[in-house]
Amino acid sequence: MGSRALLVLTNFKFKSSSAYSSSKPFYLIKSSPTIRKFSTKTRSSLQPPDVPRLAETARISLAPNEVEEFAPKIRQVIDWFGQLQAVDLDSVEPAIRADTEGDNLREDVPETFENKEALIAYVPSYEEPYIKVPKVLNKE
Amino acid sequence: MLSTIQPSRCLSRFPAHLRTSGRTKARSLHVFSSAQPVTTVPHQSQILSIRDSLVSRHLSAVQVADSYLGRLKQTEPQIGSFLHLSEPDKVLKQAQEIDDKIKRNEEVGPLAGVLVAVKDNICTADMPSTGGSHILDGYRPPFDATAVKRLKDLGAIVVGKTNLDEFGMGSSTEASAFKVTANPWDLSRVPGGSSGGSAAAVSARQCVVSLGSDTGGSVRQPASFCGVVGLKPTYGRVSRFGLMAYASSLDVIGCFGSSVADTGILLHAISGHDALDATSSKREVPDFTSQFLSASSLKSRPLEGLRVGLICETVDGGVDSGVKSAIQGAAAHLEQLGSIVTEVSLPSFSLGLPAYYILASSESSSNLSRYDGVRYGNQASCDELNALYEDSRAKGFGSEVKMRILMGTYALSAGYYDAYYKRAQQVRTIIQKSFKTALGENDILISPAAPSAAYKIGEKRNDPLAMYAGDIMTVNVNLAGLPALVLPCGFVEGGFVGLPVGLQMIGAAFDEEKLLKVGHIFEQTLQGYNFVPPLIQDGAFA
Repeated sequence: MGSRALLVLTNFKFKSSSAYSSSKPFYLIKSSPTIRKFSTKTRSSLQPPDVPRLAETARISLAPNEVEEFAPKIRQVIDWFGQLQAVDLDSVEPAIRADTEGDNLREDVPETFENKEALIAYVPSYEEPYIKVPKVLNKE
Repeated sequence: MLSTIQPSRCLSRFPAHLRTSGRTKARSLHVFSSAQPVTTVPHQSQILSIRDSLVSRHLSAVQVADSYLGRLKQTEPQIGSFLHLSEPDKVLKQAQEIDDKIKRNEEVGPLAGVLVAVKDNICTADMPSTGGSHILDGYRPPFDATAVKRLKDLGAIVVGKTNLDEFGMGSSTEASAFKVTANPWDLSRVPGGSSGGSAAAVSARQCVVSLGSDTGGSVRQPASFCGVVGLKPTYGRVSRFGLMAYASSLDVIGCFGSSVADTGILLHAISGHDALDATSSKREVPDFTSQFLSASSLKSRPLEGLRVGLICETVDGGVDSGVKSAIQGAAAHLEQLGSIVTEVSLPSFSLGLPAYYILASSESSSNLSRYDGVRYGNQASCDELNALYEDSRAKGFGSEVKMRILMGTYALSAGYYDAYYKRAQQVRTIIQKSFKTALGENDILISPAAPSAAYKIGEKRNDPLAMYAGDIMTVNVNLAGLPALVLPCGFVEGGFVGLPVGLQMIGAAFDEEKLLKVGHIFEQTLQGYNFVPPLIQDGAFA
């Protein structure tokens, strides 16, 4: 739903704006109020980052003071990311990585690592042959 | 005063048939004596000097190692380049083994006796590898990274693991979980990042060469800040096996040296296909080292006809005026050497920075999910699995890493992927195309490596966007996967004698040979600059 709404909004194309004309890279970064204003408009269907929820998804527990410290910084950076919404990217293929090389896959044949003992030595909680973890509580 | 008069011998073809010149220039011996300051004999390949000295029995590997270890001991309390150091006895023992082999007239590798430092996000089996993070504090991988293995096979001695921003996320080395590294040119300033420790170690001559990693400029920017040579190879040139992944589509292992020749020799040693890295190229690796002629054997306009494009977006507003002058000076020097320098515009240049940070945070949020405290690393004590993950990661990761994981998690969330990650990938396509066009019309492109010289420690710590803004010169090269060389070209005011500024040269994919050739000629003919930090020069720590 979010991306559909965005498609409608990006019909509002910026062809020759300073958003991506190459003359002043730092203008773009310093003039954040302008960008924020614009990108809030195009991103009206995108929820701003909900830091506690993101922390849960990323499996990192955050103290309340960390949430307070991170939230504005994260919001500022995400807003800054939003300038890409202004760019006309229709018919541009996404590049997964640099196109410097083609596929280089090896045979799908399992190989044994020669120093398994060293790997196991670093497992914090090991009860042969299991890596032991505490119980899992089912969340809703 | 610095003279660029070179010894009459050629820096010979390497590694086969190294010709000894008969008489190693006396002044260069000072490099190996901890009792005397490093002289300003410029730009000789330390690797080749060491090789010459060992093969001609002029010096022993133990003497070479001793000299570097002495300087390391004296400067390390001030600079703090290293997180882990090899026991001096162990280093000397390895050096002794090399000497014994030479005595028995046995073959020694081309990097025999060369002390190398390795960034701590590159796995070394016999030394801790923490990635600069508490979550891997005390961790020793059971394998060497392929790049490290190749160096060891050629006789190099790993002297230690260098400090970095945690998992490569940062541009100043201040985000290390363990310590801050100081810039050898001014101890109150940052060495750059994330490979700050590796750059500082070479700058302070604590080791001969070092390995770093470059995801968005993490080799090139510290090279510029520390006045050393830094090389980012083409994506796929060097195996990433054993490099702790930050952003898999952008990461490369890169090289630092005090000369272009040393950096090229190091690159040659670690390049080439690796079955353990599916993104490593099968292309043949040319002998990068065969072209390092001495200045005296160059004709008067050795770069005649070379088409150089100065990226105009990189010398515009927002760039330090001192940096601009240094780059313009470098362009003039290139013209004197015969090149044709024109201004080139790269469309969408400024979009690269947000695109990079979207891609890098997104990929890092995925790559760092492996650090869960279950199979390795530090584990929090919990009685429930999710809490175990959450607490282990909360305790183990620093703030910058946490923030980037959260931003990446957001950008990849259902419904946001198209708006951020996909668009960033589309911007990557545009940037790749614009570089390809520009490199069709030019042999190389040039720019600064950073918009300023080294700033003060603490100056940008609390402002992520200000920190990110400093990467504007370097990230596009990672997006395009191209090779780039940074070499010192001038100074700006600051510090004791000024702060070094690096010139970035960008080449076409897999064209490291051209970059090294041009860089070497530039370096050998540049007059009037001394890129050895005063800390080492004036013998204050002798």
